[in-house]
Amino acid sequence: MAELVGIYDAPGDVAAAAKRLKARGFTDLEIYSPAAFPELDDAIDEKPSKVRIFTLVGGLIGVVSGYALAIWTSYDWPVMIGGKPFAAIPTYTIIGFELTILFGGLATLIGLLVVGGLPYGTFGKHDAAYSPRFSAEELGLAVCCKDRDVPEVDALLRAHHAKEVNLVPAE
Amino acid sequence: MPEIARRDFLKLVGVGASGAAAAGCAEKVEQLIPYVVQPEEITPGNAVYYASSCTECSVGCGIVVKTREGRPIKLEGNPENPINKGKLCSKAQASVGRTYSPDRHKGPMKRDANGALQPIAWADAIAEVAAAVRANPAGTAVLGGDPGATAGDVIAQIVAALGAKSATYMPFSGESLREATRLVFGVASEPIFDLSGADLIVDFGAESLESGPSPVEHQRQWAEARDIDAHSHDGGARLVYVGSRLSLTASSSDQWLAARPGSEGILALALARAVVAAQGAESPNAALASGALAGFDADSAAAATDVPAETITKLGGALAKAKSAVALPPGVAVTSRKAVGANAAVLVLNQVLGAVGRSVTVPAEVANAKSRAKYRDVIALVEQMKAGAISVLIVHDSNPVYSLPKGVGFADALAKVPLVVSLATAADETSAKAHLVLPNHAPLESWGDVRPHSGVRGVMQPAFSPLYDTKAAADTLLEIARAAGAAVPTGTFQSLVNAAWADTDSRAALQRGGVFEAATPAANAVFDASKVDAAAPELAGGGDMTVLAFPHIALGDGRGASLGLLQEIPDAVTHVLWESWAEISLAAAARLGVENGDILKVATAAGEIEVAAFVRGGIRDDVIAIPTGQGHTVGLFASKENDGLPGTPRGVNVADLLAGTTDEAGGQAWLTEKASVSNTGRHRRLPMLQFSDNKRGRQLGEVMTLAALNGHDEHHGDDHHGSHEIIKEYDPADDAADAEYAATFQARGEKSVKESPYRWGMTVDLDKCTGCSACITACYVENNIPVVGEAEIRMVRPMTWLRIDRWIGDGFTDFGNEMGRIQIAPSTEKLGEVDVRNAPIMCQQCGAAPCEPVCPVIATYHNEEGLNGMIYNRCIGTRYCANNCPYKVRRFNYYDNQITKWPTPMELGLNPDVTVRGQGVMEKCTFCVQRIQGARQEAKNARGVDAQIADGAVQTACQQTCPSNAIAFGNLRDDASAVSQKADSKRGYHALHVLNTRPAVTYLSKVVRGPAV
Amino acid sequence: MTPPPISVAEAMTPVAKPGDSKINRDLLGVMEGVSVGWLVLLHLAVGTVIAAGAVWVYQVYAGLGIAGYTHPVFWGVYIVTFVFWVGIAHAGTLISAILYLFRAKWRNAINRGAEAMTVFAVLTAAQFLGIHVGRMWKSYFILPYPNQRGLWVNFRSPLEWDTFAISTYATISIVFFFIGLIPDLAIARDRATGLRKLIYTALALGWQGTSRQWKAHSRSVLHLSGLATPLVLSVHSVVSWDFAMSIVPGWHATIFAPYFVAGAIFSGFAMVLTVMIPFRRIYGLEEYITDYHFENMTRFLLLTSWIVGYAYGIEYFIAWYSGVEAEQTSFWLRLTGPYWFSTWTMIVCNVVFPQVFWFKQARTHLPTIFIVSTFINIGMWFERYVIIITSLSREYDPAVWNIYTPSWPELVIFAGSFGFFAQFILLFIKGAPFIAIAEVKELAIHERAHAKQGAH
Repeated sequence: MAELVGIYDAPGDVAAAAKRLKARGFTDLEIYSPAAFPELDDAIDEKPSKVRIFTLVGGLIGVVSGYALAIWTSYDWPVMIGGKPFAAIPTYTIIGFELTILFGGLATLIGLLVVGGLPYGTFGKHDAAYSPRFSAEELGLAVCCKDRDVPEVDALLRAHHAKEVNLVPAE
Repeated sequence: MPEIARRDFLKLVGVGASGAAAAGCAEKVEQLIPYVVQPEEITPGNAVYYASSCTECSVGCGIVVKTREGRPIKLEGNPENPINKGKLCSKAQASVGRTYSPDRHKGPMKRDANGALQPIAWADAIAEVAAAVRANPAGTAVLGGDPGATAGDVIAQIVAALGAKSATYMPFSGESLREATRLVFGVASEPIFDLSGADLIVDFGAESLESGPSPVEHQRQWAEARDIDAHSHDGGARLVYVGSRLSLTASSSDQWLAARPGSEGILALALARAVVAAQGAESPNAALASGALAGFDADSAAAATDVPAETITKLGGALAKAKSAVALPPGVAVTSRKAVGANAAVLVLNQVLGAVGRSVTVPAEVANAKSRAKYRDVIALVEQMKAGAISVLIVHDSNPVYSLPKGVGFADALAKVPLVVSLATAADETSAKAHLVLPNHAPLESWGDVRPHSGVRGVMQPAFSPLYDTKAAADTLLEIARAAGAAVPTGTFQSLVNAAWADTDSRAALQRGGVFEAATPAANAVFDASKVDAAAPELAGGGDMTVLAFPHIALGDGRGASLGLLQEIPDAVTHVLWESWAEISLAAAARLGVENGDILKVATAAGEIEVAAFVRGGIRDDVIAIPTGQGHTVGLFASKENDGLPGTPRGVNVADLLAGTTDEAGGQAWLTEKASVSNTGRHRRLPMLQFSDNKRGRQLGEVMTLAALNGHDEHHGDDHHGSHEIIKEYDPADDAADAEYAATFQARGEKSVKESPYRWGMTVDLDKCTGCSACITACYVENNIPVVGEAEIRMVRPMTWLRIDRWIGDGFTDFGNEMGRIQIAPSTEKLGEVDVRNAPIMCQQCGAAPCEPVCPVIATYHNEEGLNGMIYNRCIGTRYCANNCPYKVRRFNYYDNQITKWPTPMELGLNPDVTVRGQGVMEKCTFCVQRIQGARQEAKNARGVDAQIADGAVQTACQQTCPSNAIAFGNLRDDASAVSQKADSKRGYHALHVLNTRPAVTYLSKVVRGPAV
Repeated sequence: MTPPPISVAEAMTPVAKPGDSKINRDLLGVMEGVSVGWLVLLHLAVGTVIAAGAVWVYQVYAGLGIAGYTHPVFWGVYIVTFVFWVGIAHAGTLISAILYLFRAKWRNAINRGAEAMTVFAVLTAAQFLGIHVGRMWKSYFILPYPNQRGLWVNFRSPLEWDTFAISTYATISIVFFFIGLIPDLAIARDRATGLRKLIYTALALGWQGTSRQWKAHSRSVLHLSGLATPLVLSVHSVVSWDFAMSIVPGWHATIFAPYFVAGAIFSGFAMVLTVMIPFRRIYGLEEYITDYHFENMTRFLLLTSWIVGYAYGIEYFIAWYSGVEAEQTSFWLRLTGPYWFSTWTMIVCNVVFPQVFWFKQARTHLPTIFIVSTFINIGMWFERYVIIITSLSREYDPAVWNIYTPSWPELVIFAGSFGFFAQFILLFIKGAPFIAIAEVKELAIHERAHAKQGAH
């Protein structure tokens, strides 16, 4: 097995290359980018991100627990206050709202960590392909392929304006 | 040693003292008879009550001392005493603090070479004095005040036996009245004025509702005589006030004649003449018109008094028509050189009105301090001292260095006396100059008795073992006399008191607090107006303003100043506290270019003082009025010692402006000086607690006319009619919040929580409130409210749970230019007009309390009996509740008051039933919840766990002491209860009812009866 | 097996040196080295914090009495300053969240700084909740924690809402802030050495910038923006209800929520400008933070200034229109009473001065912007002072009307709050990229790519 990395300047080229490679059956890809580019989002994985589920569940837990806390405590030890009902729902809405936001936000953070493989997640064989130049202004497209496919992949990468193509030294 | 004595005492208390132990030394015990039926032994937690007598002034009110574990913690009026009938004034309420005063002398002391007082043994001290007395009996003088009846007699015997000199000095002794009575009726006693049943009262500057002959008694009688429920048709008695300033008494009057100070006599005689004229030919006094009254026609009187002739004539007519009119004689402030004439004139008026024998009793003479008080003797004694004729001066029960007018020169005279002995209980200006200090017991530690006037004898019995190594003044003098070889009665003073009471059932007397009978009229009283002549006062000095030195309602002749509590009770008229002030009119202020707080220089022939101006509309332009009682240089609270300035006087002593001249009778004259007043250009904001008397038309102090009350004109009474509607649409008793509450608990099987049969409520009758502030003082004592001191008061951080707002009329809503003003609006009083509303404001215990929902930690909540609870332990001090309280009755502990505000031994006087609040928590009125719980417990003990609290079983501290019975308290859910009845009154309204806070306090509008003529 | 072709053999030559870019050098350069001026400022800031801390310790020991409180004004400078800082805290989230949802790309250069200020301002504000209560050692009572006494808190109380709103806001802004920071921390990691490298390695959580990470990252930012947008609007509404829920004349107004939110955005942008202008000047970042940014922000100032101006006006109108004498009195005395100075300062600073931004010359003239935004900060502090103090000093019972004046301890602690805020900003400038590098690159790379295609 060998891994090749194509170095690019334009996200559009990377997206195109990735598409082409997948079409040719090279599915073991990884894209490195110094910034977020919408065109790259679905280049490898078209499925929508799972983060949304975390946010939704977190928010729902929040709203329920918010109202529940306020209402339950006010009946746990009923106290007459300002001639108001024990469960003064309109005022408890604030609590429900705030906890919705709080739990939703924290769940989103967890979602990012899980889905994004943080902290220190691993991405198959690709980890070795990461280079600090990708935290500069260049993009990288890493491809794992059989040795005999190297020339084709190399050609494909260059066909989409790769500045250079490097063979990742296997450690 | 005092420490030991005190430790013993505390030890005894610590072991849950038995009655004997708690009451102190064994031989006293078997004579201590509790006022109420006493349990076998004192049960810790149960109060024991002792009947005694108040000695703060010479009126002779009866008190009941509430003791807990042997410590007096609260005074309440003795219901059996005919004078005060269970009520007390501010001075009496605060006087429990004398026992625990940090100023107290802790034992006999001798002044050493460098002027410091060093402890000395009693025996040595007495021997030393005795030696000096024996050396020169004729050069020995005893100068005293009012030690009580028997004590006075004993001291008189001692003085006689020694052949020593003596003088009795009481600054407010009222000698001119006794002399006038002698002139007019031939009896040198003080007439007793009874206002009950009167329908027209003329107060010639007597200040009958604050510092007059018998304030508590007269407040009660005045309130009964005009009780609107009993006199709804005509409104009851009218009060006409004659005086130069809108005093507290004037504020409660129906008509104010702003006469020249000192001209009361002329006015009285002119009125008498008008009355005689109105009575017509068949008048029994027709002869007088050509006789004594000849020179006093309305016009000349008008010129002399500055009261319109027409008013005099009409008032005379009204007096003649009145069924039961009575006139009250001039008070201390207007005691001029011609005071005897003025007093005599008022007595003549009473005679002409036929009041003598009906409302005015001329009693037989009795021997008491007042009858002995001769200011003339004091002057004579001072002259001898100056001449060096006095080698030993023994001072008891008075503080002449402070209270004698500067003109007398007592301080210099004192310097000439080789041995000055002070028998003062606590440090004062006189004992600070004494060579020997032989301290007397505090009043609540003393045996004794009082004899205010014929028919009334009150006992004094100790409710407390002496806190320090002190000795009864009379005992000290007896021992000195014996050691000096004089033939004085044997036995202790206590045994002499017993002897004096031998003719009575002394056990019953001790239980009831004395022997109370009707005053016996003097048999030999014969009316004779021939020697009566009233004249304008002769005022010394070239100034253009008359100095009116009026008695401070709480500080009195200066005795009150040593009690921090009385310093912290704001004057009900000016709301100034901890300071002296000089009242001047708006016009005078404009003339001098001063406003509130600017320092004035007041100079008379006798001396000069600098005092902050208080500018108001309710005072004559030619008068500058300064209260008595301040200006002490000794005392933790009396001076500025507690503010870190020992020796610095607090305020000014108005006596420094007086020459100390006498009236015709030889009594002390107070209205003697004219002053030149100038602006020093300096300013110091007066410490005061109310900055505006403009109510801006808000529902805070409502009035309604007599007509509206009787439903005659609906238009006029609209607003008040409206407030009546409010009561209809919301009845505090219908507050059903606790129904859901109880249901919630019942639902979960907690059956103990039931819908409450109670909704505690209160009514405050503005028609009876005079603003005397006794309620505030009682509240402080009952609820352990800290006295915060001048510095904090200047920050406007009083801790009082109850304040009295004073409004002038309905107020107005235009502002004028208020940029940067502290004083919101200048005083809206007007000369000769009375529309004052005193509105006591305490926690309204709202049904829909704005303070409750805003507390994040539920530190304040609503209990099932309708009380607005405050949980100190839960409070974190966000202070939102106080911001959201429209009545602004919540108080915040900015400092750790429980440590800082009760210097030892003051903490001994704390009420153990009430938590002392710590730093950083909110507090407020609780409707005396500890008293409610106490009554609940008593009911349960008496009638089982389900027993209801009977109506009247709970009295809040403010209600209990209110001399005019303006406050009612009880269960609003009991339709039969007194408070329910009153709350349904047509006069009822809720303060700021537009906010729908659903208060449990219902105010009853003041009734405007209109001027008497 | 057959040997690989030449091209691949060439390809096998390992990558020469890690590439780097001007943007990285410029923006990471800010973090390198400390100037004398920076040290002086830091010492000033920390100094005031220490002074304020000492005063606060004394206040806890002696009691709140050392503050200028007086009956009936139970809230003072502490609450005023609390509201002030909560307001400042609104610009950050607004820029990051709302402008993100509106896809206003120009925000990229300023959002990091704004978010940092949000976090630090909230922390500063939070201090005052503890400083102002009477028994701060018991202030944990305000949290609904189970306890053997069975006591709970009062969820009806605006102060309880406040506790929840502020803590939620602090948490969410920190999360938002950190998530945005991760890629830049990775950039720093790749270029730092020694201890710094260790720290950034830890903080960057092993970020590699793979497309999956970026996808998750942008989704998270999107969702957080969705959550933070209502939050930012709610927080100052809740703060406003601390007042509006009461019955105090001058507080009890339905307009308070929008009024306070607008004021918060107003003061927040003013503070961002007050900080950003000198920052850009000192570190010469004109090409990243352009006049275009400042002009946009001044437009916001103009808009929000009109909203608060309208609120001021409507308050008086309602007071008059309601016919409630207490309300009318309270408001009239704001203008003419003892606090007239505060009121007019507020009006001039917040409504009059910002009108210069009608003119492009002013919108692009940095000294003008700086001065006006500073005045707006002052004006907005006075706005809270006026609302809180004047209302409390003129309530329902004229007998107890009284004047509050701040005491020196309050002023020291007030000054300390600025030091507290500034120290974090100063440290942050040196600790992490104050401008979001990755987001700047996003724009830069796109532009370059398009340029290239143009060339082809």
